Amino acid sequence: MEDFLGSLGPLLQSTVRYATPLVFAALGGLFSERSGVVNIGLEGLMLISAFAGVVGSKFSGSAVVGLLVAIGAGLVFALIHALMCITFEADQIISGTAINLLALSGTGFLMVVIFGSGGTSPRVNGFESVAVPLLSAIPLIGKALFDQSVLVYLMYVLVPVVYFAVFRTPFGLRLRGTGEVPEAVDTAGVSVTRMRYYGVALSGMLAACGGAYLSMGLLSAFTEGMTNGRGFIALAALIFGRWNPLGAAGAALLFGLFFAISFRVNQQAVPIEFVEMLPYLFTIIALVAFGGRAIAPAAIGRPYRKE
Amino acid sequence: MSEERQEQGTPLQSRLLQIGIGIGGALVFPIIAILLSFVIGAVIVLITGNNPLAAYLALIEGAFGSAEDFGRTLVYTTPLIFTGLAVAVAFRAGLFNIGGEGQLYIGAITAAWLGVSLGGLGLVAIPLALAGCLVTGFMWGSIPGFLKAYFGAHEVITTIMLNFIGINLAYYLAQHPLRQSGPIPGTESIPYGARLPLLGLSLGRANFGILIALLAALVLYLLLWRTGLGFRIRAVGLSPGAAEYAGMGIGTNTVLALAIGGSFAALGGGVEVMGVYGNMDVPFVANLGFNGIGVALLGRNHPAGVVLGALLFGGLTSGAQEMQFATDVPLQLASVLLAVILLLVTATKLVEFIIGKRARALAGVHLEKGLGG
Repeated sequence: MEDFLGSLGPLLQSTVRYATPLVFAALGGLFSERSGVVNIGLEGLMLISAFAGVVGSKFSGSAVVGLLVAIGAGLVFALIHALMCITFEADQIISGTAINLLALSGTGFLMVVIFGSGGTSPRVNGFESVAVPLLSAIPLIGKALFDQSVLVYLMYVLVPVVYFAVFRTPFGLRLRGTGEVPEAVDTAGVSVTRMRYYGVALSGMLAACGGAYLSMGLLSAFTEGMTNGRGFIALAALIFGRWNPLGAAGAALLFGLFFAISFRVNQQAVPIEFVEMLPYLFTIIALVAFGGRAIAPAAIGRPYRKE
Repeated sequence: MSEERQEQGTPLQSRLLQIGIGIGGALVFPIIAILLSFVIGAVIVLITGNNPLAAYLALIEGAFGSAEDFGRTLVYTTPLIFTGLAVAVAFRAGLFNIGGEGQLYIGAITAAWLGVSLGGLGLVAIPLALAGCLVTGFMWGSIPGFLKAYFGAHEVITTIMLNFIGINLAYYLAQHPLRQSGPIPGTESIPYGARLPLLGLSLGRANFGILIALLAALVLYLLLWRTGLGFRIRAVGLSPGAAEYAGMGIGTNTVLALAIGGSFAALGGGVEVMGVYGNMDVPFVANLGFNGIGVALLGRNHPAGVVLGALLFGGLTSGAQEMQFATDVPLQLASVLLAVILLLVTATKLVEFIIGKRARALAGVHLEKGLGG
């Protein structure tokens, strides 16, 4: 029993760590999908910003500058997705898939151009863990919740902020309206196009925070393909959480727990390949168990044409 | 008599004209996407301080410069035809199969297993092993179909998740039950007598896999346009409501379209193992499944188009090595170009901007929207 409690603390701590990039990306996806644009490119947006963050940190020596560069890169790539989906009316899932491939090949290309070879980048300054006084001394959950990097605390703040912004402000009302009944938003004199650009742009910046946390929080270097499906899992968390920030964050925590468990399974007993399957297997199970009942924003996936 | 002949001629001519317009229209989106991606690629090459013209010439030279280069291009084209077909058949049913990557790995490990176990049979082992790939690919591909038809889980998410699961499953099998005795992680090698023979004709490494790929494209064409099953798959894709009203089970056709797609991608993995590598190493060749999406869309989800799309993608991949050798441009530029093509290939308004209002009728992608379930 003592043993169990002793390992529970570290398990919770790594749950929060693995959940953090998922929460950021899911919140990002929420803005995009609530505005009516499917963003399957979250994976790529995280990857490109994980890389951009490392480049920014490497050449400035500052993790904060790295984060800003990452957010900039996430924004630029999200705007490419927005341009394709909203202005050029490309298929949203295909554009998102292209963003993912572009991020994968683009970071591979830039690794050679900037660092001289592929694989893993040099180590850079990242965001170290900062223990919050008093709070981190709470037994069991103290270290798990309050001995983390600054980006994790940013995530704590963002979840209620996003909830408030989406459900309690005029901006949120318009955003949700754009995803449900764009005709009505248009009639009310609000530009559907502009709202969707805002939604996708926010998704890029939030996914970028998740990417930056991967390469400068969890690790302190970039590795090719390091997102490893996290953007897609975040998307599943969003569906699982019914396009609600609190639900999505809860689902992301659950997926974080799956990651944390999968890294703690005794590899003598279970081969590593099966351990690595777990988060993806859990995602499918979660989707099968609950996803079918989720109702997406009504106008999602459809380009809006003014009559 | 001559009048009759006249009458037969006119509809034929107008039919040919129609086909001509149809093909021309179908090519508009791919051609614009390809041209724009090359312009963007040229800008990228300029930024890296190289001459775009020199880079592209080296690329073309590397892909098609000699019979041996062309043979290498065919080697790269072959798996992309299979993964392109895997995506195309699902698209025809209104489904997005992003699972080609995992399906290809399942086929690769099947071929590595059967190729080694049946290797003693010589050439007879080849059709047996490839038939095995069809079966495992069909079973693996049907999983997202069932999850969609009976639980409402969207195939975009499930096929992506199954990629990670399939790759890990194949790697487990390659590193544990099927692992070779040497230090390199991977399966035992298939005896040379049981591998796909080289084509010869001074085409270098090109093997019979390309002929199997072309045959697969022909089979998919006949399946889609000459059988009742193909008609039902296309009907479900074009108009699910009407298809259901006509008594075609949407669920059954969803499962079948994804399962058939899985068979094609798995066959691609099998041909890759039996024709190119002779075993399955860990890590195995990556991204063939994902690039199949671009190939299918460039080819307008038509088997003939898929072959052409795969040839373009294969040529780019093959020529990129020569480009990196001749200039300082990293060979990853080819993958960047492929991604940009995919990004642009469905951009309706962009094409409308270039060729006018007719573009909308030519867009040609019909997908069920949303990820809700």
